[in-house]
Amino acid sequence: MSIELKNVDYIYDSGEPFEYFALRGISLHIDDGAFVGIVGRTGSGKSTLVEHLNGLLFSTRGDVVVDDEIVRNDRTVLARVRRRVGIVFQYPEDQFFAETIFEEVAFGCRNYGFSKEQVDESVHKAMSTVGLDPKRFLSLSPFQLSGGEQRRVAIASVIAMGQKYIVLDEPTAGLDSGTKLAVLAELESLRQAANVTVILVSHNMDEVAEFCKQVVVLDEGTVAFQGSTDAFFRDADLVDRTGLELPESYRLARALKECGSPLTVNECSTDRMLNSLRLCVSDLGGA
Amino acid sequence: MALSRSFVLGQHYPGNSVVHRSGALVKLVSTIALMVGVFVATKTAQYTPIVLLLVVGIGVSRIPLRFFARGLKPILFLIVLTVMVQIFFTPGTAIWRFWFVRVTREGLGLAGFILCRLVLLTLVSVLLTASTSPIELTDAVSDLLKPLSRIGVPSAEIALVMSIAMRFVPTILEETERIIRAQVSRGARIGEGSLVVRMKSFIPILIPLFVSSFRRADDLAIAMEARGFRVGSPRTRYHARHFQSFDAFIFLGTAAAVSGVILWRLFL
Repeated sequence: MSIELKNVDYIYDSGEPFEYFALRGISLHIDDGAFVGIVGRTGSGKSTLVEHLNGLLFSTRGDVVVDDEIVRNDRTVLARVRRRVGIVFQYPEDQFFAETIFEEVAFGCRNYGFSKEQVDESVHKAMSTVGLDPKRFLSLSPFQLSGGEQRRVAIASVIAMGQKYIVLDEPTAGLDSGTKLAVLAELESLRQAANVTVILVSHNMDEVAEFCKQVVVLDEGTVAFQGSTDAFFRDADLVDRTGLELPESYRLARALKECGSPLTVNECSTDRMLNSLRLCVSDLGGA
Repeated sequence: MALSRSFVLGQHYPGNSVVHRSGALVKLVSTIALMVGVFVATKTAQYTPIVLLLVVGIGVSRIPLRFFARGLKPILFLIVLTVMVQIFFTPGTAIWRFWFVRVTREGLGLAGFILCRLVLLTLVSVLLTASTSPIELTDAVSDLLKPLSRIGVPSAEIALVMSIAMRFVPTILEETERIIRAQVSRGARIGEGSLVVRMKSFIPILIPLFVSSFRRADDLAIAMEARGFRVGSPRTRYHARHFQSFDAFIFLGTAAAVSGVILWRLFL
């Protein structure tokens, strides 16, 4: 069971003066239970790719396969695919419409025919997952919250449906750095607890290095790299060619290496790098 | 995508033909004159000068014909309905009858005439909006209204309101699509089920749209004030436009076609 794209092309406004190749021959594979990053500069096709995953867009050529089912414009197929793949769009708080947070989070569950008890349970669980106390928040209006809280409610409104794949398009855009990390940590815990596959579209390479084991790199509508995040960031030339920048930790590690510092660390995510730096320093101190 | 696609009437088809490059005010005045011409004609044959001009205009504009066909689609129902009514309910000499239905020679003639009238009106306006960007068009409208400001019509403000409205039509369509995508991803079924269910399914789209539109209006007002905008103060234009030689052709062509129709009606 997985999400698979086979040679997918997508052309916007095919045959018009604005005709535009958004995706070209995209083939990729997303494993169950993975935390996958989708990165690429602005206009590289990330958002277009995401909209293929639950049948909001249909490929011009090639197949999108979700759990052995080819996504196509058919009501029952779409209902099944959307039941499996949830998408949190950019600035998801713009979709709020309900009077209370409970109603907002329950919207998706009701659409999928959850019973009253199931709705109740899912809403409470989703709110706890995103770190908001259900007792305090559920009866408030979603419009009176702070930006960070709104974002969390919006994420809760998608994960409450209990989908197997959760796609998030820039979920941390416009949040302060503490909230950013907290939101991503909540997603990671959701992944571990419920074996949900998390697909994160992001411009923030530090986030990607920290949370995503796997990464898909898009460049002008094609897949420029697919594999382990660490392997991608070690290839500084490729990172540069795809218009991205190295995460802080990788930059620091390279700088240390280049100036011939006795502190040598493997390039990896911030946490692990701090640990290995600590080890390194204590080794030097010991010598 | 789907929404902005079905919105052809009043859509711009960018290009670089002479029709595109000529002045919006000239095109707007010509369009109005041609529409008057269409209503002046009393017989189908009298449309000939306008049809000729339109054929030349469409040809020169290099806008594909299917773009015009798409512009006709929204009024297809209206066309069919009026043509049917004319065919079946015009009294006169019957040329075909079945039970209580009868088709008259006069009915057919009138139906053809009305058909031409509706199609011509649409094609003329599609040619205008396809070859002129909305911003140019509102500038032209404000120029047209300018003489009225002497008698107290706030023409500058009307033009501003129009150009802001025009400017935000695509933005709001895009916003609508964005919200629809988000709600559909949350399992919303839009436009399905009974009438009540269908109406209710629009609430999750309309409320976010209202909220964001008001916020946008607020932001815009602040941004305009921050850049020194004051109501009623004189303003200049970034793209000042001057009369060009092709404008004269459009003027003369229109004048010829419309006076052709009038003369035909009066003397033939």
